[in-house]
Amino acid sequence: MTSAIEFRHVQKDFNGQTVIPDFNLTVAQGELFVLVGTSGSGKTTSLKMINRLEAPTKGQILVNGTDAASVPVRDLRWQMGYVLQQIALFPTMTVAQNIAVIPEMKGTPRKTINQTVDDLLTEVGLDPTVYRNRLSHELSGGEQQRIGILRAIAAKPETVLMDEPFSALDPLSRQQLQDLVLKLHARYHNTIVFVTHDMNEALKLGDRIGIMRHGQLIQVDTPTELAQHPKNDFVRDFFGASRAKNVYDVYVGRVGLVQGYLASAPNVAAGKIATLDRQATLRTAFQALSDHDYLAVTEEGQLQGYLDRQTVLAYLGAHEEL
Amino acid sequence: MQTLVQTFMERRGDLLTALWQHLGISMASLVIAMMLAIPLAIWAARRPKWAEGLLQLTSVLQTIPSLALLGLLIPLVGIGTVPAVIALVIYALLPIFQNTYLGISEIDASIEEAADAFGMSRMRKLFKVELPIAMPQIISGIRTALVLIIGTATLAALIGAGGLGTFIMLGIDRNNTPLLLIGAISSALLAILLSALVRWFQTAKPKRALTVFGVILVLLAGGGAYSAYANRVETVTIAGKLGSEPEILINMYKDLIEANDSHVKVTLKPNFGKTTFLFSALQHDQIDIYPEFTGSVLETLVKGTNPKGMTAKQTYALAKQRLAKQEQMTLLKPMKYNNTYALAVTKQFKQQHHLKTIGDLTRIEGVLKPGMTLEFIDRNDGMKGLKKAYHLNTTAKSMEPALRYQAINDGRVNLVDAYSTDSELRQYNLALLTDNQHFFPTYQGAPLMKADFAKRHPQIVRALNRLAGQISETDMQEMNYDVNVKKQSAATVAHRYLVQHGLLKGAK
Repeated sequence: MTSAIEFRHVQKDFNGQTVIPDFNLTVAQGELFVLVGTSGSGKTTSLKMINRLEAPTKGQILVNGTDAASVPVRDLRWQMGYVLQQIALFPTMTVAQNIAVIPEMKGTPRKTINQTVDDLLTEVGLDPTVYRNRLSHELSGGEQQRIGILRAIAAKPETVLMDEPFSALDPLSRQQLQDLVLKLHARYHNTIVFVTHDMNEALKLGDRIGIMRHGQLIQVDTPTELAQHPKNDFVRDFFGASRAKNVYDVYVGRVGLVQGYLASAPNVAAGKIATLDRQATLRTAFQALSDHDYLAVTEEGQLQGYLDRQTVLAYLGAHEEL
Repeated sequence: MQTLVQTFMERRGDLLTALWQHLGISMASLVIAMMLAIPLAIWAARRPKWAEGLLQLTSVLQTIPSLALLGLLIPLVGIGTVPAVIALVIYALLPIFQNTYLGISEIDASIEEAADAFGMSRMRKLFKVELPIAMPQIISGIRTALVLIIGTATLAALIGAGGLGTFIMLGIDRNNTPLLLIGAISSALLAILLSALVRWFQTAKPKRALTVFGVILVLLAGGGAYSAYANRVETVTIAGKLGSEPEILINMYKDLIEANDSHVKVTLKPNFGKTTFLFSALQHDQIDIYPEFTGSVLETLVKGTNPKGMTAKQTYALAKQRLAKQEQMTLLKPMKYNNTYALAVTKQFKQQHHLKTIGDLTRIEGVLKPGMTLEFIDRNDGMKGLKKAYHLNTTAKSMEPALRYQAINDGRVNLVDAYSTDSELRQYNLALLTDNQHFFPTYQGAPLMKADFAKRHPQIVRALNRLAGQISETDMQEMNYDVNVKKQSAATVAHRYLVQHGLLKGAK
């Protein structure tokens, strides 16, 4: 199977200054890959080179095994969804027209487009009869970015690029939209390259995570590997610095990742173990631990491992710097 | 107020024509300006350096005073509608260009990036994203331009393009406030109405806006087609200078020509402009005939020095010869009256100081308060030469032609220049001073046309020659009085004279 996206010795200069010296990365088909880094690390530039909003100075980018530079730019972009941090819905178009932008250019029949629009709206929990003809300024920020995502996936692209799509949203909307991305990814099996500066977001979403600094990929690994075997202090610190501002908002799954789960299942009565999804926050975990001895952490119903009070407190002790 | 309504009722036919002309010039200018400025602004939106330069250029163009611009255009494109439209287009460029440019270049960069990232072509991005977003600003630029154009289009009358400005100019020239008000109010109303229409376009449902736009286009095109159809018939265009006298004369021409040959249709352009405008219009075939004076020909239109003290006959002969030689034009036989410069005082003043001739003025230099037209003061055959010829030492205040009679009537001045056929001489009880040294040249009126036109239209020449030797100075004063003071129409007055003197048979 060919890779979805492959960077081969890509270099990018701006005004004669090299910002990305030598970038190599392979993203597999159907993978949700997160590029994470501080601002100025070159993660957005790397993303924009994939759909040629930026041209590489040197090197090659392969999309589905073909050199992206050899494909007509519009064909390339039509099969690549794009979600912007600024959302950037077209203000003079209705919600339906925004979603239909790419299918319309591809010449999809009107009827099919209308059906797709209604299906997609329903899928993200927006009633088509209410929202179809609204303009973007009549929507909340979270609703706008929902439409932004639908606009990117309406033509069923194989790849979707997301450039810090949720960084301007309030925490609640952010969480809902992260869940939405996971849901849509599971449904459409598309390849997603997601750029963020929020390590929590990266850990929640990424199949694999690439950590960038000064235009270089420091480490590319699964969340577990990153958490347990950070390659250097920068990666370790990045976890610390990007920790949720409020420690009570940290996901229990992350405690497991960082501290490690218990080696074996606890030998106690079932009533002493509380079951929590890995996305539950520590706030919930504390409540559960007040009348249970252990936590069973699950992901989509699958058991990930067990945590006891000591492990949770050890995490707090290691990472809380009040 | 009553006179305003009365004037309006009398003139509503003319007003409709003027309104239509005004609308035509304005719309044509607006459409051309839009076709130039909008694509240019779209092109410049991605080239900030060029845009900066173009903005500067359009701003500079707009600071040229409109009168100066019209003046500059005359040697290049002559007179009439073309220079008027060019000038108006130049004024309308800035607001349309500026608003379109800003409207597009101020679009959020992320929106542009989104359009690119979705693989929109340049054109699709322009029509689907950029223009719709910039539309409110573009429309507001068009509205600004429209109001500007409609206001400035009143100046088109100065170069013979017609429109509501003719009412305003005529109002100033004849000291007729109702006329002036009608012109000014109509033009203001037109601006308000059209501006509201454009605003409506902006908010109206696309279908309805398109329908209305279509209807307007059909109407304008229909008007254009009709005028093209009307022009198919042999049409002779006769123009006249500002004032009642030329208007009476050209009405006589029209009556005589049409009575003589029913296949010719005569179009009149009264109050078309001043001497040089008309002459250049004739040179450029924008008009076919206009009445000119023998004296003016020698003084301003042809080259050569003029011997002093010529008789009326000699003046005509010399004018005719030089026109034929230098301009290939024909000056037909003149009428009887001599509309020359003269100096006038009130009858009372004349008696009080025992004045008879211009020479007598040297005795009372101390009490003289002359008020004269700027043109007269500045001409060698006017005040300049006169002062030398009569050794007269006095300084005249310059005044608008229509105002100086008012001034002598109020006693603010006591000596004015006049044309010997002015109706005001009669109206204000003024007396002329005899030109005992024959200083003023003879000014006899005669139809002027191109030589090849005269050759091709012997019928017309014959018809116009019937006026040769007709109309005395008193006749002319009388007729001018009927038009200017009694407010009769020039057509009626002209027709009545022709019938009374057996030049035309019975009533029409």
